[in-house]
Formats: sequence, structure tokens, C-alpha cells
Amino acid sequence: MTGFFDGLQADTLATWVAALATLVVLGGLLGERRAFGWSQHLLAGLVTGFLGLLAITDVIVPRLLVPLLEDPGSRIDLWAGLVLVGLTAGAPWLPRGITAVPVSIAIGSLAAFALGGAVVGTLLPQVATTIARPDGDAVQTAVAIGSAAISALVLTSFLHGGPRGRLLSVASASGRSLLVIGLGGWLGYLLLSRLILLVDRIGFLLGDWLGVGL
Amino acid sequence: MGLLLRAAPLGLLLLLSVGWLLPQPSGLTLAARASDIALRVEATLDAMPESPVVVVGFDPDIGTYPEIRPAVRALLADLLEREARLVLVNVTPEGRALLLAEIGRLRASSERAVMVDLGFVAGAEAALVALSRTAPAPDAPVALRAQLAADGIAAADLIVVVGGNEIGPRTWVEQVLPRVDQLPLVAISPTVLLPELLPYVESGQVDALIGTPGDGAAYRESVASTPGAAADDRLVDRLALLLGLLVGIAVLGQALGERILPGLRIGGRGERA
Repeated sequence: MTGFFDGLQADTLATWVAALATLVVLGGLLGERRAFGWSQHLLAGLVTGFLGLLAITDVIVPRLLVPLLEDPGSRIDLWAGLVLVGLTAGAPWLPRGITAVPVSIAIGSLAAFALGGAVVGTLLPQVATTIARPDGDAVQTAVAIGSAAISALVLTSFLHGGPRGRLLSVASASGRSLLVIGLGGWLGYLLLSRLILLVDRIGFLLGDWLGVGL
Repeated sequence: MGLLLRAAPLGLLLLLSVGWLLPQPSGLTLAARASDIALRVEATLDAMPESPVVVVGFDPDIGTYPEIRPAVRALLADLLEREARLVLVNVTPEGRALLLAEIGRLRASSERAVMVDLGFVAGAEAALVALSRTAPAPDAPVALRAQLAADGIAAADLIVVVGGNEIGPRTWVEQVLPRVDQLPLVAISPTVLLPELLPYVESGQVDALIGTPGDGAAYRESVASTPGAAADDRLVDRLALLLGLLVGIAVLGQALGERILPGLRIGGRGERA
């Protein structure tokens, strides 16, 4: 780490750039919107450039083009992949019906993996862990009953319309309250995460950049 | 009132800066006192064979990485001290950017560290499924390269997942563990993911989770004697964090009071009448 008066080396320059970017973002917090807007555009541009570079150097060249050039005859799947890359790259000039193909394949396959994984990796093991068993102890049984009750109450809070009895209305209101309490807890965790980020940036400005307290 | 609201962010920044500059009170600790997390992590690492192969899924996000960075660096240093062979992989671009910085730091601090970088693998969940079958590692030592090519992630003795909001321990539990015969998994994640991940710890799918700054500090204290584990990064400033939390509680309390107070006044008038 470098201080304010150290010699100008590569890491010093990086520290200065990072410090200026941090000040611009914090300036947005204080009402300076123009420079903050530019920093957002800069971030978007850098991220896009990094993504493009990563796609070319880590995916398209080593995993698609090199295997194709080495053995063009045996990898039909890679030829299909090359066509999909071409369709994606040509999206601005091609009809929507054609460019929808690679996007649909990407979304569909991701959804399939995510759904399958959620069932096999989360739903079934969690049900197996939570479910009450005849040989389980009292605590496990209480946890299982509590989990089932909370799940049922939260699910009833999603019921909308149709005739309801008094009991169902109370259950639905309780479910909504539980949902809000859960969201409140989650927002508390989020606040902690963001606060740590802010304190880290202040530490960076004061310590790494200005060299105070080091 | 308008001026006060406009000055509030500046006041918060000044308050946090003062908190950062003041000496840390001796009674204010970050490490969770009753945390058994450090013991669980150490027990999982102790159960590994000699010179273990450890697959590190490194996909934190930039917004939450400062929170887990001290614990991540301590764990990587601990693994290298145990002569683990690290196989590093990313499935998110953000994770790739952060990993490149960490690899540079590790290579500079430890010349004899065995690190195999599988690079960025596109496809998110699909990439993890592919890696659980085969993990091409052209730069790895010959024996390890053959192992990874034949068995994929199953060639490892331990999985370490450094997670973020996009891809994290949950994705690894769902996509990789069912395919690699339940390898032990240690995870480091930001606090915001804690409610999502605790059920996996309770079910035993995740062997140890460092999921809060307190857990991270406790683990870091337990490996403080390990070279490189605690020297090159500082924990989050405790006093500044406490002051920020107090401000947050005050703001939330004020908002809650504004909602509740009118109701109490009406109730009081009704009773008097």
C-alpha cells in the first residue's frame, strides 16, 4: 500500500485513480451528480470491455476456435456453437426470429440446470432434514412443525381474491407479517454489508491514500 | 429540515471517518465470542490428506468483497501453509477480476505455492456441471492434470466456495455436490446471504460457513500464527462500524416512530374522552 507522499510508481498511480473514483462516487452521495454520472458511464464501459475481452480470450478462442482449427471434422457441436456466436454477434442486423434462437437456448438451458439443481440439491435434502421422524427427538419435531406452520402461513399470504373465512384471513395476515419480518431481517444484513463497504472505502481514502494512521 | 437532510450524508461520512481515526476501544471486538465456526473450519481442513487438492470456486462480487476479503485471505494462507494444491476457477466475470488480483498477491508472497488456474468458465450453472465431469487444466502438473481431466472436481479433497450474490455456495451445493459424491465444502460468503445458507449448514451439505464478519474475525484469530494469514489485510474498523450501525438504528427507529406515534396519540385522546 502506498501513502500520499511516496514516489510515483504503478501502484501509487492505481491508488490515486481509485481514490479519485471513490471521491467522485462519494460526491454523488453529497449531491454532485454530473461527475457521478460520468463515473457510472466509465464503469459500464470498463465492465463491457472486460466482458468482451474475457469472452474472446477465455471462451471463444480457447474453447471454440482452437479446437475447431485443430480438428474441424469431428466436432459438429462446436460448429453449431460457432453459428450461435455469429447469430448473437449479428443481432443488430438480423431478424428478431433468428437472433432469438441463441438467447432462447441460453435462457432455457440455464433455467433447466437451475430448476433441476434446486430440486435435487435444495428441496429434497432440506425436506429430508426438516421432516419429523418417529425416532427424532422433541426439538427436531418442534422445528419440523414450526417450519411447516411458517411455510403454510407464508403461502396463505399469497392467496388473493375469492371468498375467505375469518381463520384464513388471520392466517394470511400472519403470513404477511412473517414475510415482512423476514424481509426486514434480510435488509438489516444488507445494511451491514453496505456499511462495511463504506467503512472500507473511508479506510482506503484515509489510510492507503492519505497515509493517515499507518 | 431540508438543510439537515442534505447535510446528513456528509455528517455520516465525517462520523465514520472520526470512528476510523480514533483508537479502537479495547472491549469492542469483532470476533464472535461463542462462534464455533473457526473450530469447524479447522476440523474440516484437518480431515484432509497430506498435500490435498482443493478446488476454490471464486465468485464474490465487488460490492460485498471487502466484507469477506480478510477471511478469504486468511483461509488461502492457511491452505497454502498446509501445502494444499489450489485449483482456482471462476464462473462469473466479477469473480475473475477479483481472482486475478488475488493470484498476483499470492504469487508474490509465496513462491512455492501450487496454484492451478482453470480460468473463467462460461455458463454459470452449466459450467459447474461441466466442471464436475472434467476440468481441463493444461498448466497443471502432469499427475494433477490427469486427475482433473478424468474426474473433474471429484478429484479434489475439499471444495472452498467464495461466494457473492450471483453464484455462491447454494449454486455449488445444487449443481456440484450431487455429482461429486458429497465432497466436504467450506464456504465464505457475505452476511446478506446468511439466511439463504444457514439451512445448508444445518443439513450438513455445507461443512463450515464463514458467513458474518464476526465469524471471519474469529477464524482469522485462530490462524493468526500462520504466515501471511493476518499480516497483509486489515479487518473492518470496529468503532466506525458500530457508529454506522447506531446511525442506521436511529434512522430506522425514527421512521418507525413516525408511523407509530400518531396511532398512540389517537389512542390516548380516546382514553381521555
